[in-house]
Amino acid sequence: MAVEREGLSGAETLAKTRTYGKFRCHNPSCMGRFQPEPGAKRVKCPACGMEFRVHWIRPDFPRIRGPVWDVNRKIAQEALAALEAKKSAAKAAPKEEK
Amino acid sequence: MALNKKIAYIDLSTGKIETKPIPLEVRKRFLGGRGLDAYLLYNHTDKGVDPLSPKNTLLVSAGILGATLASATARTHIMAKSPLTNLLGSSNMGGFFAPELRWAGFDHLVIKGKAEKPVYLWIHNGEIEIRDASNLWGKTTTETQWAIREELNDDDVKCAVIGPAGENLVTFASVMTGIKDSAGRSGMGCIFGSKNLKAIAARGTMDIKIAYPEDALEYNRRFITQIVSSKVNQTQGTLGTPFIWGATNSWGGIRTRNFQYNQCEYADDIEPERIDEICTETMGPYHMAGCFGCQVHCRAQYKIPSGPYAGKYDEGPEYTSQGAFGGEPDCKSAVTVLTGNHLVDQYGVDNLEIGSIISWAMELYEEGILTSKDTDGLDLKFGNDEALLEMIRRICFRDGWLANTLADGGIQASEKIGKNSFGYLIHVKGMSNLHSDERATPALALGIATGSRGSDHLRSRPAIDLYHLPEEVLRKVYSNPVAYDGPLSSEHTSYVGKAWQVFWQELCYMGVDCLGICKYHTTFLGATLPNFEDWSKVLYYNTGLEMSPRDIWDVADRCYNIERLFNMREGLTRDDPKKGDTLNHRYFDEPCRRGAPDVIGAKIDRKKFKKMIDEYYEHHGWDENGVPTAETLKRLGLDKEPSHLV
Repeated sequence: MAVEREGLSGAETLAKTRTYGKFRCHNPSCMGRFQPEPGAKRVKCPACGMEFRVHWIRPDFPRIRGPVWDVNRKIAQEALAALEAKKSAAKAAPKEEK
Repeated sequence: MALNKKIAYIDLSTGKIETKPIPLEVRKRFLGGRGLDAYLLYNHTDKGVDPLSPKNTLLVSAGILGATLASATARTHIMAKSPLTNLLGSSNMGGFFAPELRWAGFDHLVIKGKAEKPVYLWIHNGEIEIRDASNLWGKTTTETQWAIREELNDDDVKCAVIGPAGENLVTFASVMTGIKDSAGRSGMGCIFGSKNLKAIAARGTMDIKIAYPEDALEYNRRFITQIVSSKVNQTQGTLGTPFIWGATNSWGGIRTRNFQYNQCEYADDIEPERIDEICTETMGPYHMAGCFGCQVHCRAQYKIPSGPYAGKYDEGPEYTSQGAFGGEPDCKSAVTVLTGNHLVDQYGVDNLEIGSIISWAMELYEEGILTSKDTDGLDLKFGNDEALLEMIRRICFRDGWLANTLADGGIQASEKIGKNSFGYLIHVKGMSNLHSDERATPALALGIATGSRGSDHLRSRPAIDLYHLPEEVLRKVYSNPVAYDGPLSSEHTSYVGKAWQVFWQELCYMGVDCLGICKYHTTFLGATLPNFEDWSKVLYYNTGLEMSPRDIWDVADRCYNIERLFNMREGLTRDDPKKGDTLNHRYFDEPCRRGAPDVIGAKIDRKKFKKMIDEYYEHHGWDENGVPTAETLKRLGLDKEPSHLV
């Protein structure tokens, strides 16, 4: 077998795209990449408004510790209410057509 | 050389032990570890065998790269027909046992029969003895290991052992090595117990000759650079695997109260950062340790800070313990998680299964399906930490009607309990699901539904699907070593291309399981970690075995199909709610109610899910019922199984 001594593997090539200091929003359809201020304990996603608590693995390496629970719950309840309203409207709609 | 380690055939009924070399042709077809074990199981086990009978064959193995100059080759694999699922049983643990087994001269143990009284195997430098273990029966996993070392007068002996759960034939008992390394899934500890096999002890000083040592070291240096520079492994080296639970809970992918919610709110005390604080407080700043040959060091060390077990030392907890003793039962105390983790390690039982099954019982209790009469007065409601810990003990000792019932596993328990209890059981093929909630992530749902050993996140999970990676990055990963020009989607809520991702991950994980490498060193949690093309080189430099990335892919494909053949032989059918490639109805009927806004309302779409399964079968070369076609078996050289090559 000819073993390549030069050249990067696929995984090594992808490693070059890594970014430090930023993380992605945990809201699945947002996933916006943003950078917290050094040492920040809380951060708000500029794209979707979700708020997160921040943990620093190293001074240059932040990670999302978890959501700010009160904000998270409020957003979730609003989303759930909107969904329920949509469902109710959908249920009502065919009757009106009749 | 690295390939000259042997297979030992051990009959515990007769005491007969025979050792044989592993032919090169067999190596090229199945490599080692899980892959060769699957071949051995299929060839050495009769159709329909009772898992607890002496006729069930137990396989214990190291990967083909175990103890070479490749990184993280610590994995020990254990396989048999599962007493939990009555299908394929297979589990895998880290630590230091597999390298020691290889240094002692063996790669695979094929254990049949049943000893008349408790025994353990003592394997050392090419020799195997069956020794009396009567004095070990009843001891915890840690006590057992130290007692064996004392008896053999060698502190460097490495042991794979069972605790009381295995002795009591709990169908999800684990095999343990060290303090917390556990082959937990699918009840392999129960198989040990059924054979009166308390432990396997290994110690060896036999050399493993590396084919090209300088090249192997040089390539491993590159390998290590990839491993330690990845963000995911840097995080693991600080917080251990609990970081995964934390990240998943953040957006709403954690089962809570069995399956009632998809997020454990206000769970700050069991977040990885809090657990890390306790580890630092009790063990100091340098509390992270690792398995043999690993640079990641994801193993936290801790002492329980308070409560009835205060001061007890343990390791972990893994993210599975956060789920099992935190989110699922809705117990939000770090002390409870750390104590539960300690109990399962000492009793030798699968944390994931026992946590899930207790949470299931809690839901049944709150629904009135179980009563306080069934629980012998225990108030088995969600959030009752004491009840959770007490149930762990009771199940491991089969203490009381409910514990004894649950110890038989979810499906059998549901048959005894009745009253639609099965409808609440979150399982696939009789094995409980991980604590994650896959309703918002179709790819992950497909992965657990089709796992060859039952519900599983370690057999096919495309975890990188959660990172919203650009399509070109996904294509780079998923089009190698086999070209794939079908659709791929960066959206993890999508159903597009997910069947291919699951199929690819299956073969990727089978590949590392044959090599004996830890999954944290491959495309599991990070897209930048090594896979097929790297393994081809590592395999060549260490063993001299010339196999292209595509060759390794084909081996993985072959081994996965052997597992499928085994399951088909044991009665797996596509839509069987107990043995099929399917999910509990709640995945399709109950929408998520917590988490990020776009997770709210998420559930699995039945039609799209069915289509994903169809696509997944097609990628595998299986028919619409999930049966490998004659053409597929011929392509993989499996058309004449069982072939009894070894």
